[in-house]
Amino acid sequence: MTDVFRTIVNTVAVCAIPMMFVLFLGWGVVKKVKVYEVFVEGAKEGFTTAVRIIPYLVAMLVAIGIFRASGALDLLTRLLGPVTTLIGMPPETLAMAFMRPLSGSGSLGVMTELMKVHGPDSLIGVMASTMYGSSETTFYVLAVYFGSAGIRNTRHAVPVGLIADAAGMLAAVWVVNLLFH
Amino acid sequence: MLNYIWISLIILGILVAAGSDAADELGNTYRNGISLEVRFVVAKRPSPLRSAWEGTIVLSAAEFNSLYGPGSADSAVNQPAMVSVDASGRSTVTMTAGSGTPRLWAEMAKHAADPGRLAATAAPLNPEAEGNALPLRMVVEPIRFVRLKAVTAAALDYAAAAVNISIGLIGVMALWLGVMKVAGEAGLLGIITRALTPLTRRLFPDIPPDHPALASMIMNIAANMLGLNNAATPMGLKAMEELNRLNPRLGTATNAMVTFLAINTGGLVLIPATAIAVRAAAGSANPGIIIGTSIIGSGCATIAGVAASRLLQRLPRYRRQVEADHD
Repeated sequence: MTDVFRTIVNTVAVCAIPMMFVLFLGWGVVKKVKVYEVFVEGAKEGFTTAVRIIPYLVAMLVAIGIFRASGALDLLTRLLGPVTTLIGMPPETLAMAFMRPLSGSGSLGVMTELMKVHGPDSLIGVMASTMYGSSETTFYVLAVYFGSAGIRNTRHAVPVGLIADAAGMLAAVWVVNLLFH
Repeated sequence: MLNYIWISLIILGILVAAGSDAADELGNTYRNGISLEVRFVVAKRPSPLRSAWEGTIVLSAAEFNSLYGPGSADSAVNQPAMVSVDASGRSTVTMTAGSGTPRLWAEMAKHAADPGRLAATAAPLNPEAEGNALPLRMVVEPIRFVRLKAVTAAALDYAAAAVNISIGLIGVMALWLGVMKVAGEAGLLGIITRALTPLTRRLFPDIPPDHPALASMIMNIAANMLGLNNAATPMGLKAMEELNRLNPRLGTATNAMVTFLAINTGGLVLIPATAIAVRAAAGSANPGIIIGTSIIGSGCATIAGVAASRLLQRLPRYRRQVEADHD
């Protein structure tokens, strides 16, 4: 079973992008599109989009950087740890739940650290990796996606993103406790 | 709301950093200005050619913790040190952080005047002393404002990182936007969009059923589900730009944009590639075991996000922001 999973995962990881190139560009050739000319035409938007998101990403990452460096996250984890233990969430994984929406590299670091200390197949290791897989870096997505469209007033996007994150984290805790505890 | 969250992250971060530095100062965590006695095991005595002692500061974890407080060292201390004597007879101890350095000194060394090298002033060692283990009285250089310095460094580092990330996106953006343009001209995206119309009509009722934004959104969600993050971001950004063409009020998010974002931050996934890779690297017996749990977790997150976006968009305070133009 393990090997089957691993084979599928590896195959998709290796083949998906080349297959997409073949399918998309090949379809263009079949439909007599001038593939090279059209590709270049589309590609030239890449620069302006990437540059347009810079101010949004600077604003967001600086705030997140300050918050992470201050140690406020440790403080929150220590304060809320006893509460979340009641719902079957080990305090160690709380740092993961807080870090996940803020920073992709930060939550990757937390996950790696937890696996090193507790082992990847321990309850904490499985829960941390499920939490990582159950959500995206909300604030990064918010800054980059809205930045590319020049959106400054995000309306209800932040509460929606945080509700999605909270639901993902709670579901991860619940399902891991159900299956692995 | 982003305004409040953004300023809270900054203010809370700075306040916690200042508070933590104040607590260090009050409790004198780093024993600034306090004379400590340690055991210096001599390796090389000063000679007429060099006036420095070389050796190692050797202490048990318990001895170190009795100097600095519990938890300062996790294992026995084996700190290489050099004691140099200047012309006026004063001694300076230089300790370079390494594997035998206790946790607290390693932390202090990071913030030392010469990063990585902790300095101390010491009472002169007696060259005539017998034996190899000599008592050394020293005052370690003062360490202050550790957190505030870290916060300042983080602000500058992350600003630079933001630009690096954006610039790094140019290549992969150009690649996928080019491929998508070819697929669009060839009519492939139209076929995909039409096939999924029953779904997209319900999720994005404000978007015309054949609009190109739908194709980009579908491609973005599909790439995310397969864990192809490199491909997902360019398609997502393209989708946002196309959604923005339908935006009557530039600079303000539309309902469709927030729903799309909810699907994205929910991160519906079939193959959580990064988590599996980290588990495999950590030596898991079964790295793929989290596939099922991640599908459930991200499924719940996505459903909750989409439901929340549909509910919250009806709230008067959010509705007013898009309707203001029509009044």
